[in-house]
Amino acid sequence: MRSWPVLLLAAYPSAMWAQQPGRITEVERVLAPLVQSYGVSGMEAPVRATVERLLPRGLRPETDSAGNLWVTVGRGEPIVVFVAHLDEIGFKVTGIQNDGSLELAPVGGLFPSLWEARPALVHTGRSVVPGVFMPRGSDAAADPKWTPPDLRADVGTTSRDSTTSLGIRVGNTLTMPKQFVRLAGARATGRSFDDRVGSAAQVIALRRLNPARLRHTVVFVWSVREEIGLEGARAVANALGLRPARVHAIDTFVSADSPREPQNFAMAPLGRGAVARALDNSAVTPPAYVDTLVALARARHIALQVGTTNGGNDGSVFAGYGVPDIPVGWPLRYSHSPAETIDLRDVASLADIIQAIAEQW
Amino acid sequence: MLRPLVFSAGLLLWGSLPVTVGAQDRDSLSSLTGRLASITAVTGYEQAMVDTLLRLLPGAIRDRAGNARVQLGGGSAKRLIVCPLDEPGYVVGSVRGDGYLTLRRVPGQVPPLFDQQLEGHRVTLQGRQGLVPGVVAVRSIHLTRGRDPPSETPFTVDDAYVDVGATSPAEVTALGVRVLAPVTLAKRPHSYGDGLLAAPMAGRRAACAALILAVRQSILRAKLIPPLTVAFAVEQELSQRGLGTLANELGAFDETLIVDGRPGSRGSLQQMPDSAVSVRWPRLGRVRKWSLPVSYAGTPVETVWLGDVESLREALVKWIGGDQ
Repeated sequence: MRSWPVLLLAAYPSAMWAQQPGRITEVERVLAPLVQSYGVSGMEAPVRATVERLLPRGLRPETDSAGNLWVTVGRGEPIVVFVAHLDEIGFKVTGIQNDGSLELAPVGGLFPSLWEARPALVHTGRSVVPGVFMPRGSDAAADPKWTPPDLRADVGTTSRDSTTSLGIRVGNTLTMPKQFVRLAGARATGRSFDDRVGSAAQVIALRRLNPARLRHTVVFVWSVREEIGLEGARAVANALGLRPARVHAIDTFVSADSPREPQNFAMAPLGRGAVARALDNSAVTPPAYVDTLVALARARHIALQVGTTNGGNDGSVFAGYGVPDIPVGWPLRYSHSPAETIDLRDVASLADIIQAIAEQW
Repeated sequence: MLRPLVFSAGLLLWGSLPVTVGAQDRDSLSSLTGRLASITAVTGYEQAMVDTLLRLLPGAIRDRAGNARVQLGGGSAKRLIVCPLDEPGYVVGSVRGDGYLTLRRVPGQVPPLFDQQLEGHRVTLQGRQGLVPGVVAVRSIHLTRGRDPPSETPFTVDDAYVDVGATSPAEVTALGVRVLAPVTLAKRPHSYGDGLLAAPMAGRRAACAALILAVRQSILRAKLIPPLTVAFAVEQELSQRGLGTLANELGAFDETLIVDGRPGSRGSLQQMPDSAVSVRWPRLGRVRKWSLPVSYAGTPVETVWLGDVESLREALVKWIGGDQ
């Protein structure tokens, strides 16, 4: 792999974090409310509402029949698409037992051990009912495994009727309470940074760019149901067909920057800028596009790393229409866990590169 | 209206109940239980909790063991009531060159999956300049793809790397965090159902809250309280140093009552003799234990029912007043 990150970091050590305190505050004010909104795949309405509230005035956001939120700025060809997803992992209710407890199935990829014996929130669509993810029973604890038996939730009831009287139904979703918490320096932790960071970066970019100065049409999409198969983005791709010139998925770069990870790839350190996600499990960015992106970042003095990681991205579903996918992310530690950790400077960098792409590419 | 208090099978029936609870009582009990359940008191490092208790109990002192204790009534007390206040937890074991911290569990008995509760969750470190948030590293599920599945061996403290956002030992030091800083899961007590409260050590914290409110109520209402020592004891999970010091410094007592939490069914308060403690500390006299029933004991969602906590408070008021 070429050594782009080293070259870029060496070239712009002082310029890339200019105006840090103000930028960090700006990022935090957009990101925190998004992180503290709840939206398991298929139930993204609260997150979508938060994005709409955070968007700058004068735009005309529209929600399509799939639930994706669209903002179109600029005029004329080519069409460039950015897409970040609204949804988060969690659980859904698959049954209600006679003792009132809830049977659950995971939504998206997760380690069940991280949810066992934790506070729970049931999202009925009309209200949020607190409960707990039940710990395994004493029989399973006698010879413990890392992975618990199938998880259930207790909402403090003792019968099926009392549970349904709370408005809980099969199909409702469950999450765990979450908070946006600052760590040392510019670091922060929370749950569902994947992909609230991408969602926030698109909002920040829109706040900073001047639509009147754009030379072509730019479509910003906040998509639904990414975690369960890129479903929202597929609807967007089908709607736009052959028209887009490029798509930029704005999504997590899952980083191996942790002592618990093998570091033979995905090694994008936190705090060193956005990451061109040049290869993942769903797409390979054409090398010439990576080169162009790197050159753009260099010209705009934006910190950018280049790497390869795992996972799929929303841009990959545009492939059937011949639309190149050039995903950009930010380094994330401990993906899909309650302890996801980021560096807020990377979010500013991500917003900057989105703005630069919209304005200059 | 709360349910009548019924003791567990084989235990005494509490004749003077049922107890009714006013909304205000329940609010203050809920508030105090939540407050205490939010505080970290790792065995041997309980002083932040003791500081809080000293503020809550006028006239209370910190004794030579570090216990918080207060004397009620006049004369020499022959009765002692104790709530343990410590919890299993960790201290920082070392600071790595990359700014991550490793952990050492404090000695004492813990459930089999106690360490695993840390993995991928937020923790709180007691730094010299205040509380410091951190997280315990976990593998990213995305990066397990195409590799051998994660081991089914439970997570242990040796797997724990604490990320406070620092990138060097100097940054860790600047946060006020050193080797031996106490560490526990971040605590945010969680209410659910009809008066249920979930938190690590919820039973013990709720028992201490009931005792505090019972003492305050007794001081306000009683014209004459029979001599009594009320104590919140340190290091119960390790050496019982707090309890032993009370016995040897203030004993001999005729009787000692220990309040705590233990697994049980909602609506029942367990009362039983504690002969092991009696034998170990004979100067405590006849030792009995009243235990709040908790579900999901020893987990981050250990749950108490506030109705039981209120019933314990009422029972303690009677005991403090001399009603056996």
